[in-house]
Amino acid sequence: MSTEAKAAPRKRSKRLPLTYVIAIVPVAAALNIVGGYINGVLKLPIFLDMIGTMVTAVVLGPWWGALVGAITNIVSSFISGPIGLPFAVVNVAGALVWGYAHSMGWMRKNWSFFLVNILVATVCSIFAVPIYVFIFGGATGHFSDVMTAAFLAMGQNLIVSVFSSNILVSLADKIISGYVGLAIIEALPTNLTETTKLPKSEGLNKIIIPVVGVVVGAAIILIFLALQ
Amino acid sequence: MNNKTVGPKEGLGFGIIGMGLLLAFLPRAAQQIADLDFVASEPFGILLGATYVIAFLVILSGLAVAFAKFDDEE
Repeated sequence: MSTEAKAAPRKRSKRLPLTYVIAIVPVAAALNIVGGYINGVLKLPIFLDMIGTMVTAVVLGPWWGALVGAITNIVSSFISGPIGLPFAVVNVAGALVWGYAHSMGWMRKNWSFFLVNILVATVCSIFAVPIYVFIFGGATGHFSDVMTAAFLAMGQNLIVSVFSSNILVSLADKIISGYVGLAIIEALPTNLTETTKLPKSEGLNKIIIPVVGVVVGAAIILIFLALQ
Repeated sequence: MNNKTVGPKEGLGFGIIGMGLLLAFLPRAAQQIADLDFVASEPFGILLGATYVIAFLVILSGLAVAFAKFDDEE
């Protein structure tokens, strides 16, 4: 080996076999659709339709995540009605934030991973609120409508009420999605995840960290519901 | 054996295709949403608003195409 080759270690390629992409993208979209469907059936105060988006955006890249987000809402609009289709842009925006935050190395530490999920929740709410207000008049039949009504009853205007309820639901949802996604990524084959820059955990921490994240997400929404 | 690989460039391309698909399905969805009982908006307004938001994302993807460095192409 030449001295030059020794001095400059070969950069790890970001390219992945096409078969991985063909396997991950539809499965991630299906995971989102199933999550969203379960959420709709159980009337939970979250969305659960971005877990696959997070996994894809981190493992494959932001624009593959955007593709998963678009596919999710297009397909679910055939299953659960057209309400979900305009919200595809929220899913796409979430994928871009997760994907670019990961590629910039903002998700290496536990605290920064948590903050990125909060950033995703905020960006998603910024995209979702105009859709809620200007297209649906503030209500879509989701559980968060109850919270919107509560804020309206407190005397807030419609945009503030929708943003307040949506950011709370979105915070819980994106923290849960982020940590469930982290657990899924930990379980993927190593050759698929060797380029990921996520919090490193060993042994039992691989389970404890995602569980704590999910509990924090659930606690946010439960505390707010209890206070209402 | 097929060793074809994909990277950020293909991801960007397929992401833009995803947004194209969204745009293609929007007119049908706009009419269906306007037909819902609790929605007061007209189909044109729904389509207009949704198109603006997707246009913003398409502009972002254009910027990504323009400024991204795909230095590890196959």
